[in-house]
Amino acid sequence: MKDSPIYEDLSLLHRRALWVFRVVALLFLAAALFYWKIQILDYRKYFALAEANRIRESVIPSPRGVLTDRGGAVVLADNQASFKASFIRENAKDFDASVRAAAALLEIDESVIRERIEKYKSLPAFRPIVVKDKLTLEEVSRIEGRRNELPELVIETEPRRNYPFGSLAAHILGYMQEVTPEELRSGFRDRRLGDMVGKTGIEAAYETRLAGVDGTLLEVVDSQGRIREEIQRIEPRPRPKLALTVDYDLQAKAEELLAGREGAVVVLDPRNGEILVLASSPTYDPNRFINRFTPEEWQGLIANPDNPLLDRAIQGLYSPGSIFKPTMALAGLETGTITAGTSFFCGGSALFYDRPFRCWLEGGHGNLALSDAIKNSCNIYFYNVGNRLSVDTIARYAEMLGLGGMTGIEIPGEKAGLVPTSAWKKETTGQPWYPGETISVAIGQGPLQATPLQIAVMTAALANRGRRIRPHFTSEANVAAPSSGPLGLVPRETFETIVGGMWRSVNDGGTGQGARIEGFDICGKTGSTQTIGRETAERLAASGRSVKTHSWFTGFAPRDDPRIVVTVLIEFGGMGGATAAPVAGQIFGLSKAKHDR
Amino acid sequence: MIDRLHLREMDWALTALLLLNTVVGVVLIYSATFYTGGGFAWKQVLWMVIALGFFFLTVAVDYKFWIEIAPYLYGLALLVLVGLLAFGRVTSGARSWLRLAFLGGQPSEVAKVAVLLILARLFSEYRAAFANFAFGALAVLLAGLPMAVIAFQPDFGTAFCFFPLLAGALILAGLNRRMIALFLVVAVVGGFLGWNFFLKDYQKKRLETLVNPGQDPRGAGYHVLQSKIAIGSGGTTGKGFMKGTQSRLRFLPARHTDFIFAVLGEEFGFAGVFAVFVLYFLLLARMFRSVGKTRDRAGSYITFMASSLLTFQFLINVLMIVGLLPVTGIPIPLLSYGGSSLLTTYVAVGLVVNIQMRRFAYV
Repeated sequence: MKDSPIYEDLSLLHRRALWVFRVVALLFLAAALFYWKIQILDYRKYFALAEANRIRESVIPSPRGVLTDRGGAVVLADNQASFKASFIRENAKDFDASVRAAAALLEIDESVIRERIEKYKSLPAFRPIVVKDKLTLEEVSRIEGRRNELPELVIETEPRRNYPFGSLAAHILGYMQEVTPEELRSGFRDRRLGDMVGKTGIEAAYETRLAGVDGTLLEVVDSQGRIREEIQRIEPRPRPKLALTVDYDLQAKAEELLAGREGAVVVLDPRNGEILVLASSPTYDPNRFINRFTPEEWQGLIANPDNPLLDRAIQGLYSPGSIFKPTMALAGLETGTITAGTSFFCGGSALFYDRPFRCWLEGGHGNLALSDAIKNSCNIYFYNVGNRLSVDTIARYAEMLGLGGMTGIEIPGEKAGLVPTSAWKKETTGQPWYPGETISVAIGQGPLQATPLQIAVMTAALANRGRRIRPHFTSEANVAAPSSGPLGLVPRETFETIVGGMWRSVNDGGTGQGARIEGFDICGKTGSTQTIGRETAERLAASGRSVKTHSWFTGFAPRDDPRIVVTVLIEFGGMGGATAAPVAGQIFGLSKAKHDR
Repeated sequence: MIDRLHLREMDWALTALLLLNTVVGVVLIYSATFYTGGGFAWKQVLWMVIALGFFFLTVAVDYKFWIEIAPYLYGLALLVLVGLLAFGRVTSGARSWLRLAFLGGQPSEVAKVAVLLILARLFSEYRAAFANFAFGALAVLLAGLPMAVIAFQPDFGTAFCFFPLLAGALILAGLNRRMIALFLVVAVVGGFLGWNFFLKDYQKKRLETLVNPGQDPRGAGYHVLQSKIAIGSGGTTGKGFMKGTQSRLRFLPARHTDFIFAVLGEEFGFAGVFAVFVLYFLLLARMFRSVGKTRDRAGSYITFMASSLLTFQFLINVLMIVGLLPVTGIPIPLLSYGGSSLLTTYVAVGLVVNIQMRRFAYV
């Protein structure tokens, strides 16, 4: 057909097409060969895989980082192997019958199993759902014995958080709970439903530092759930242990002293802000959270009127009472309102703005100067100081010492307290600040509120003669001290005057003498704060009744080279000197003994 | 338009192979889905009837007419695709479905025919022995436009299917070395840009797991692994019709569409695979043979491009399901379930039959 007038010459095109077709034929041959390889040569391998199909991925949970005390020797939180029974829905041929059999085997109510399964129904059906944990070895062997009849019930082991000393340091360590679906959507993306995460304390603050990287296990499992082959195992990678600054001996001592009362003890090292003790009473056993509460247990814990979950040391808000007096002294001295030599007369009561204000000592202290006023915690003296200052000036000095603001401790939930100012009152009530209210603030009453930790941090600033610190539990925290600001410019003599009064309070027959330890230059201040209004208290007193005051003591030692700050608060403990000071004294004593050893 | 002489010259063998392969597909679709409901096998039979109607319509009208209206078809297809991108609803992750009356369709499948015709028209008017640069670029543009729109749906599998059309046309036109170099550069640059800016994570994952399917048994590689297990466990003669455990236990993904060949491998073994290879190869061989049985240049191009399209899709799919190529979501024409795909294939083969039977000039 070449050179045909009708037909084009397409032979070149045809040759190219033929060439492509040959390649296609070769590719068909190659594809057929490959199919021959996997279907004929590798048949056994794939047949076996199909028979024992179901590649299942399971998690090898990582143990959580161990927590120790400051020495590293005392383990405060570690991990224990724990057995748990899990239900695999995929393996249940008759769901209701399976649940019944499992409930009988585990000796729990069917509804418990159903509730657990309902809670995690969004998980794939092959994923085991924990229905009972902390199995005894007897239970484990009983379940294993029924393995073939009940393939849907499996035993899993996992490392469980364990607190060897139970409630000891519970408010420091915090507790763990199952991660909630909301948390999974926000912060904990790498966690899965059913995982435990830290909710409070160190466990929460250092969640990412403590949670190891879970391993994974890929297994081929047959339709009965029996493991046929391990394909891949990635071992979990736990994180190294974390040493806290907590002093086990002091912490145990503080909790022993607090037992049976409501209150808090904070002990820290004023040189660097390391927290040695943070105790809050009543307390709880964080191990109970690990074992998954029954609803009744949980209700019992949160409905307890004494609120054991509240960390009184960082969340309890109290009037500072007389332990605010050193702050007043600082304000008075620095503004030039008083000098160390300024005296006032205490006759047991005095009139300010036509209202009588009383000293705690009936009959009064007579004429006394600043040092004696601190030593004897004289109210009238500080009423006079307060009367000469504005509330905003007082607030400025209180804030310089760290009151009214967060201390920056790394565990969550800290409260900021309250230092009243005229602007604050205007904003919250719409009313102006009345000068008469300043009189109450002068002795740490009125709207003033502080946490025991704030008081300890304030005490550390006094002990350091103006250098502030940031309290912390580990060297991995932000340990940078806040700027001391104008406090750093206060002359040393001012602090020596105040500290001198505090020294005499403990060592010269003052209100703090209950804290005295032979050979340890403790400086301290007591406080007894009214928990009810002044009028109510007077009305009760008139009828011969009384409500005990909150009992405070805060102090440091030794006077010239402070290495320990102790703050004690006992709710309804009565006079600070009678209740809180001796508790602080025992802690000072133990600290000294440990130091001298 | 059609007379008895044409009917005598019609390739009945090719038509028979077309139907035979479709029937094999229906049988496999039935086995893959009879326990799930959805009536896919019967829907496919319905589609087969519709497609056969279109087949005869395509055959009846002289192919010159189809080439004549190619620009309009092309414009319409492009318009629908762009409209779909703008207003279409997302179905299984892509804006690729057009809902008309009771049956849904994927215009992207039908667009293949439009591109096939327009490229044929373009190249039929080019008579040099070797394609030059400007001409190649125009062809790339014509095929690339709908390809890009479809890739944005995003449906990479279907977008890829325009590649054999373009490549087929260029091969036939005679690619010279410069063109090959240009193609390589475009592929490398396009691949780089695509990887970094256009590919979604799941698509990257697919490419990555192609290299090592065992590494991620729950991800994309999981499907390939399950598909290989299904095929391998079929052995020589298979587990029997409707007895594939991998398929029944739902380890196989997209059993009636992309992984239909794995159902074949599992239930009919290597014997079944080989038989279908032969059957399909005969169909393709018959189509390639037709390239030499045309009256004009345009006919050769259409026939060759249609052959390339079917070959490409078949080979990509059978190599993909055993892990030799990434899982791209390209179905096997005729065997996989899918109305639009069936329709497109019937029209494409219809064009081949059409051209072949009108190869003689009656002067």
